[in-house]
Amino acid sequence: MSHSSRDDSPTPTCRYAELHALSNFTFLRGASHPEELVETAAVLGYEALAITDECSMSGVVRAHMAAKACGLKKLVIGSELRLRSGRKLIVLVQNRNGYAALCRLITKARRAAEKGQYALTRQVFEDGLPDCAVIWVPDEQLALDAEDHWIRETFRDRLWIAVELLADGRQRQQLERLREIGARLRLPLVACGDVHMHRRSRRILQDTVTAIRERVTVDKAGFMLYANGERHLRSREVLQHVYPADLLAESIHIVESIDFSLDELRYEYPDEIVPEDETPASYLRNLTERGMRERWPEGIPRKVILLVEHELELIAELGYEPYFLTVYDIVAFARSKNILCQGRGSAANSAVCFCLGITEVDPERMETLVERFISKERNEPPDIDVDFEHERREEVIQYIYEKYGRERAALTATVITYRPRSALRDVGKALGLSDLQVGKLARSMQWWDGQRVDDSRVLEAGLDPDSPVIKRLLYLVGELIGFPRHLSQHVGGFVISNGPMSELVPIENAAMPDRTVIQWEKNDLEDLGLLKVDVLGLGMLTAIRRSFELIRDFSGCEYTLAGIPAEDPLVYDMICDGDTMGVFQIESRAQMAMLPRLKPRCYYDLVIEVAIIRPGPIQGDMVHPYLRRRNGEEVVDYPSEDVKSVLQRTLGVPIFQEQVMQLAVVAAGFTPGEADRLRRAMAAWKRRGGLGPFEDKLISGMRKRGYDEGFARQIFRQIEGFGEYGFPESHSASFALLVYVSCWLKRHQPAAFTCALLNSQPMGFYSASQLVQDLRRHGVGVRGVDINHSDWDCTLEAGDDGKAVLRLGLRMVKGLSEESGRGVANERRSGAWCSIQELLERTGLSHRELGVLATASALHALEGHRHAARWAVAGVEEPSGLFASMDRYEAIPLLRKPTEGQNIVADYQSTGLTLERHPMQLIRHRLDRYHYVQAGNLPDFVTGRSISVAGLVITKQRPGTASGVTFVTLEDETGHINLIVWKKIATQYRAALLNARLLGIRGELQIEGKVIHVIARQLIDHTDMLGELHVKSRDFR
Amino acid sequence: MLLADADARAAGVMPGQSGNAALALLPMLKLDERNVLREQQVLESLATWLEQFTSFVSIASHNALLLEIAGSLRLFGGLQRLRQQVATELRQQGFDAALAIAPTPLGATWLARGGRRACIREPANLATAVRTLSLNCLDWPYTLCEALTGMGITSIGDCLRLPREGFARRFGAGRLIELDRALGRLPDPRTSWRSPKRFCADYEMTEEQNDRERLLAICRELLLSHEQFLLARQLGTQRVLLSFFHLKASATQLSLGSAAADRSADRWFDLLRIRFEQLSLPEPVIAIRLRGGNTQALQAETARLVGRTCHERRYSMTQLAERIAARIGDQSVHGIEMVADHRPQFAWRARSLLAAKVTDVLSVVRRGLRRPLWMLPEPALLPVKQGYPLHQGRLTLIEGPERLETGWWDENGIACDYYTAVNPRGMRLWIFRNRKATWYLHGIFG
Repeated sequence: MSHSSRDDSPTPTCRYAELHALSNFTFLRGASHPEELVETAAVLGYEALAITDECSMSGVVRAHMAAKACGLKKLVIGSELRLRSGRKLIVLVQNRNGYAALCRLITKARRAAEKGQYALTRQVFEDGLPDCAVIWVPDEQLALDAEDHWIRETFRDRLWIAVELLADGRQRQQLERLREIGARLRLPLVACGDVHMHRRSRRILQDTVTAIRERVTVDKAGFMLYANGERHLRSREVLQHVYPADLLAESIHIVESIDFSLDELRYEYPDEIVPEDETPASYLRNLTERGMRERWPEGIPRKVILLVEHELELIAELGYEPYFLTVYDIVAFARSKNILCQGRGSAANSAVCFCLGITEVDPERMETLVERFISKERNEPPDIDVDFEHERREEVIQYIYEKYGRERAALTATVITYRPRSALRDVGKALGLSDLQVGKLARSMQWWDGQRVDDSRVLEAGLDPDSPVIKRLLYLVGELIGFPRHLSQHVGGFVISNGPMSELVPIENAAMPDRTVIQWEKNDLEDLGLLKVDVLGLGMLTAIRRSFELIRDFSGCEYTLAGIPAEDPLVYDMICDGDTMGVFQIESRAQMAMLPRLKPRCYYDLVIEVAIIRPGPIQGDMVHPYLRRRNGEEVVDYPSEDVKSVLQRTLGVPIFQEQVMQLAVVAAGFTPGEADRLRRAMAAWKRRGGLGPFEDKLISGMRKRGYDEGFARQIFRQIEGFGEYGFPESHSASFALLVYVSCWLKRHQPAAFTCALLNSQPMGFYSASQLVQDLRRHGVGVRGVDINHSDWDCTLEAGDDGKAVLRLGLRMVKGLSEESGRGVANERRSGAWCSIQELLERTGLSHRELGVLATASALHALEGHRHAARWAVAGVEEPSGLFASMDRYEAIPLLRKPTEGQNIVADYQSTGLTLERHPMQLIRHRLDRYHYVQAGNLPDFVTGRSISVAGLVITKQRPGTASGVTFVTLEDETGHINLIVWKKIATQYRAALLNARLLGIRGELQIEGKVIHVIARQLIDHTDMLGELHVKSRDFR
Repeated sequence: MLLADADARAAGVMPGQSGNAALALLPMLKLDERNVLREQQVLESLATWLEQFTSFVSIASHNALLLEIAGSLRLFGGLQRLRQQVATELRQQGFDAALAIAPTPLGATWLARGGRRACIREPANLATAVRTLSLNCLDWPYTLCEALTGMGITSIGDCLRLPREGFARRFGAGRLIELDRALGRLPDPRTSWRSPKRFCADYEMTEEQNDRERLLAICRELLLSHEQFLLARQLGTQRVLLSFFHLKASATQLSLGSAAADRSADRWFDLLRIRFEQLSLPEPVIAIRLRGGNTQALQAETARLVGRTCHERRYSMTQLAERIAARIGDQSVHGIEMVADHRPQFAWRARSLLAAKVTDVLSVVRRGLRRPLWMLPEPALLPVKQGYPLHQGRLTLIEGPERLETGWWDENGIACDYYTAVNPRGMRLWIFRNRKATWYLHGIFG
């Protein structure tokens, strides 16, 4: 539409800077990404663009990066602020000092309000917001009252009045009125656009997000919607006709007073990590050398000394000492509190980190790795994530807050963006579709690629793909996907600064009480070269620490992560058998099936194992070539020495993220910086669409260097397959260590290990029932919950032969609070109980809690079977003063003893597991006529044979990587049976697959070494045979 | 998932599933949402309908009805015949009912819940029949049933075997009383269901009457007894239908409506008088019937108080509208309602005055917008000469543009620029230009 001008004579176009623009980081108001705004402003030839999201800096880094990439003349950082009194101001940062002032102000306003809100009163402006230009967007009615005069007085010589002419039909009066006010207050006027989108066509989306924000449908939104789409970046020709020249020129005048870029931000490490008489470099050297002496008390190998020296040099050159020292400080705190922790990430697996105690990966064992992790050519900030015991991570977080204060330490944010499903739900609601309709469509869009939807999917959901409503819906959903929705807190990314954090980036409240997050996420920090430490929680560390304690208390042996005997062949034998239930990382069914084929015999094999069974390598078709080559069935040849140097350790197959980047450098001529961008594009290409430019560059680069097209294509496909799942070797190396430690514990201390796992639930892949059955199959005794023997946690007791047996703890009893459970265990120290009445009087347990104990058969010693115990519990009375334990005569009821079946049901219901016979044993005789083979007997049959099996369904998994295959695990009294259900069969027996708890299968047996699968051909739902014995399956996607 | 039809069941859909699980099994499944209110209405209408079999029908729970049939046996030809008849007629209406007959209300309820087609006449036989019923038939809270099951007590018989004192102490005396009532050891009085009635009364005259004042007086009497009827039941109505019967001609109908539920004879009479003036009666009247409309709950005193305190009769907006509508007919009176929509053609709509309150209509008017009072029903195309639109001369644009681009969500989206224009005769017009640069006249300022 160009009908703002009636004469088309060419006029010299004016200069203009847009100083009022909201991106979609003003959630549900702005309808364009910051990048889109910046790129459009550059194309339109604006002198500058200000990103002025409402009380937020969340979008500015993206805008900054885009501005640098597309050559926008100037990016202005600012914010739109609405005061409590309703006045609206646009604040523009004039220099670094003004930036700090604005960040401080936003922080104050955000911290004073609920998450996602802000509160701006005059008090917040105490410091007068120095070095900022302020544009005042007046209301329709300007009263010129005290508040207005306050604004005028506070910002007098750097205050402008915004004139925003948006074709509402009253432009002329508005301009006259503002001219008059400007004259009266002696304030200059400036043209602004109140920009909400980069181009007019986004108005449809803008209307939609408005409706979503106001929780109404668009057709009911009425005047909440804007009347037109003028709030976009208008061309300068158009603006020239809308605004008087002096108002446009004034925007340039303002921009000329602005001299600030985010590039000026410099990160300063906290001072206190270095003692006063030391420099960071000397202190790091001292600590490292001390650590070295501790690690090698009998003399430090020369190789290590050289390595450390080399690394220290590199660290000094890049100025990373304070970073290593910051991480060291956190880790040292954890050590002092006996919190197990371990670092991982590119910088973690260095000799220096080993000496500092950040990692336990002995550089001697890792010789080939170290050099790759720090590289000055790549110039990427070092990255150390530290895993802590998941239940004690909070202590570490509190330590950080305490040490540096909330002003200087904060969590990074995670920007939660619209995914297909959330977008569909919100847009659907805004367009007035019913929840049921939207829900149906959302179901069928599970694997939507975000680009387009098959008509058949829409039809399947009972909607007409040609109807205008559905067309609008799908169009809008496509537009909305990827829009930020709100800020959430990153799982554990901490930023620590020397000066106040709020002068670097605004801080706001997170959903958790007492949590604050900065307004930037991880990528923003990386883009600006700021450093963070990830403080993460890991359940396995909790379990390992508990195992160590249990072993110490039971047998007096002290173990540490580093003290576990290395490279024990018995441990690798167990791993090669796929006998890894409960251990770290390699316990999933896919991993278990891979282990007998991969046959890991050393630490580095585990590093590969951890990385290879992941969606990335699986989709990139890297698993089988690797296996064939490892088994010597396929020759490894490398197209060049360069490629060989990168891929040799993984037999020519790229398995790690680092290898992909190195390949891009050595084979396709990428610079290290480009390789890093490729890595980030890999993580996001599915969501944002397009590895496009990288594809061309990669393939042509490789062709140029003499690699054939086929090889180049294959590498590119593998990179695509990696997607967001590419696993770095540096992480894998640290994880592999925990894999080994947990396997060692399982092999040599199974009772302690299982006990620790049970006490650390929920974690891992398997239920308590499966872990306990596995333990019993390994010949370790398990004793039930008993009020006179169990602690809150599961414990170890000496068995008849003196070996450790597992005693289930009160924590297994569903419905019993931790406080009560621990109370019971404490009170028992002063003597066991003889009756329920006594239990009640001494512990003050509620009737309900006594009831759950009775149901769990924990009161067996006091009252006999659980029916009798529950009757007794229902009859006890609160002690009433003086006549406390007056016995009351009661007739004895005739209660039936529970049957074995009833006991099993009650066991499962109250503790999730049973120590009675397996439910399958009870009904086995009824299954006889189906001739089902037990899991334990499957190895006796030959592969390819038709076979029938049955069992309780314990897991169902449909990985996105396996093209519609469902993996089902059945459990019978002798073990597990792994089923493969192809899509066709799954569809045919959909009801049985989804509903059955007890499943019978006819199919084909597949045995490959120790890996046994049954390919299902027919599914039979036997659930009714279970009666009440029903077991919940764990479903994974 | 509450209920599934045979096809759905065959696909594995079953009660208790989540909607999503059911859809996963059967993507084309049509889901209807449960409507509890509707269920209640159906149950009430069934209760009313069942009053033909007995004077005592009671609603026992959300899905159970009790009929006391001892007194009806002879009338309907014995127990079996009666049962047969009820069962058949329920089935004909499309209901699947479980019928059980027992000497106590609870006994019958539990047996029916247990799906037993029992027919027990002797109290002595009741205990035996009830004993084997599972606890699920009792409608006891889930936690209680769970506690009992945990003690191995799964049937009513198990409960009855327990020591009475111990049972009462653990589960409450109330439960014991319930068991005793079911077995007839204690009385179990129930309240009867009363169907809400609509008023209907006739006034028959000894001779044909032509005197309109006299007819009005009779109507007033009928309205008074109508008021009495409603007052006793705390009800009101929005409709009253008067039928004037003639000897030869068919009856003359007069229907009165009110915006809010009312029962006051005075108010209805006011409305009646206005309408009656215009009513032409083809013949003298021999009888008058007053039929009240559907009733709804109405608080006791408020209506009356208002009536009494208003000494000087000042009509409210509602009453005024009612009176006008009474005079010229409901269809001819409309209110205008402003609608929050940027599109001028959707910015207002007509609404019935009797549908709801006429207040707060003006709350959505947008401030500061200039809109002509006279809008054309359809925009009129304007001729253009030398790029200028014409309407009785060349138009000069004096204000604008006001750009409207909105309404994309239905089929009436607009994208055009509105201007205020004047023509040489000084008429102020509201015109617009669309995307194709065509000019239209849309309104005229007064």
